[in-house]
Amino acid sequence: MEQREDWEPKIVGFLCKWCSYAGADLAGTSRRKYPANIGIIKVPCSGRVDPLFILKALRLGFDGVLVSGCHPGECHYLTGNYRARRKFAITKKFLEYLGVDPRRLQGSWVSASEGDKFAHVVTEMTKQLKEIGANRLFADDK
Amino acid sequence: MINSARQQRLIDEAKALLKQGKVRWIIGFEAGSLKFTTTPLITADAGDTSRLVINSFIVNNLSNFLPELEGRIGIVAKGCDSRSIVSLIQDSKVRREDVVILAVPCSGLIDLAKVEQLIGKDRDEIDAISRKDDKVIVTLAGAKREFSISEALYDNCLACELPTPQEYDILLGEPILPSNEPAAGQKKLDELKKMSPEARWQFWKKELERCIRCYACRNACPACYCQRCFVEETEPQWLLPIPHWQDNLMFQITMDIHVAGRCTDCGECQRACPVNIPLRSLTKEMYDIVADLFHFKAGMDKEALPLMTHYEQEEAEDLIG
Ligand code: SF4
Ligand code: SF4
Ligand code: SF4
Ligand code: FES
Repeated sequence: MEQREDWEPKIVGFLCKWCSYAGADLAGTSRRKYPANIGIIKVPCSGRVDPLFILKALRLGFDGVLVSGCHPGECHYLTGNYRARRKFAITKKFLEYLGVDPRRLQGSWVSASEGDKFAHVVTEMTKQLKEIGANRLFADDK
Repeated sequence: MINSARQQRLIDEAKALLKQGKVRWIIGFEAGSLKFTTTPLITADAGDTSRLVINSFIVNNLSNFLPELEGRIGIVAKGCDSRSIVSLIQDSKVRREDVVILAVPCSGLIDLAKVEQLIGKDRDEIDAISRKDDKVIVTLAGAKREFSISEALYDNCLACELPTPQEYDILLGEPILPSNEPAAGQKKLDELKKMSPEARWQFWKKELERCIRCYACRNACPACYCQRCFVEETEPQWLLPIPHWQDNLMFQITMDIHVAGRCTDCGECQRACPVNIPLRSLTKEMYDIVADLFHFKAGMDKEALPLMTHYEQEEAEDLIG
């Protein structure tokens, strides 16, 4: 299918409320510019991110999924982000094996004070998704 | 013959266990109603134990029944099955003291579908299939034909890492070492990896278009034991019950994620599938990912903690920026 000139990727971001979500907030309040391509879902901890959330987002046609939590060692619940990493890692590797472009699923550690980093992550991801184009994985027409 | 000697030993041991009241149940295999098949035998009656068999067709991973039965159980286990038992113990689904493991050193199971392909004949026309060292011998209209094990065993058996259970109570026969044909067992996955990402996705789309969502794969899997599976959840409803390929594929991917670190590459899911979807090319890749990222192999180390209940501080670091 032809991609329209003005097409914009849609990203779902699962952000931990203690860090990355606050980081995104900071990016906003300090007027850091970042693409409006991301829709944010607040989670209590990155450990809450069930791989099913990721799959469902791709199934619904979102072009990319971002999972973001507190830096290693800084999780509010001490170990949630380490557990998140195991789940995230197998999901990412497995999807890649199935033929999903690994850039569609990204993870980052962003603290509450890293508004700049958050803006950077979203900018980069949006750029990459523009390169690979719309998610037609679950589309019926091919 | 070695097989019949250890079969007799199994019968004697199982009978004694039941008679002495050391177990309430015996789970093993008996001859199936079709040629070259076996079927699970679950019994509390010592008289039934004479029907127990050990041969190259004892395919089921019987550990699947453990969480369902009350009381102490004597169970026949091949290497991979014993790994599933260890994994179930680690998950607190089964207590070690509630099982008596009757361990069968396993030289690999014969894949009937492969044999049929090799000789171009249906199983009904085959007179006998036997195993001698690293050969499989098929007798057809009185004539014998020999095949190498790499042609005739199940892929997961070729890649088997633990033919003889490590964890057992009674060992039936001499221990066997891994056959070392892992390359043959990996062939299908290697072929997939050579394809472009788009072609791979199309491959799985095509395969899962045939899935009828009977859930036989899930039900056959000892690692898949939830009382309520996500596929049946309605709030939220993750999947539609209609077998569209999209939901079928989502089901498979999620099942593979759920059994990560508990899947022992026993091959049961693929054997259970009525439409022959090559499920092992999914489960084995997840098995390899887990081994590669976390140096974890289900049921190999009984001291290990379940994969998803712990972590190392430094692992998979390059995957998250
Ligand atoms: S697929 Fe997942 S939820 Fe369903 S039984 Fe298996 S492990 Fe449980
Ligand atoms: S997923 Fe398949 S191969 Fe793995 S343990 Fe379950 S039935 Fe066996
Ligand atoms: S056994 Fe085969 S057809 Fe049935 S649900 Fe599993 S993959 Fe689908
Ligand atoms: S609280 Fe932020 S990742 Fe756990």
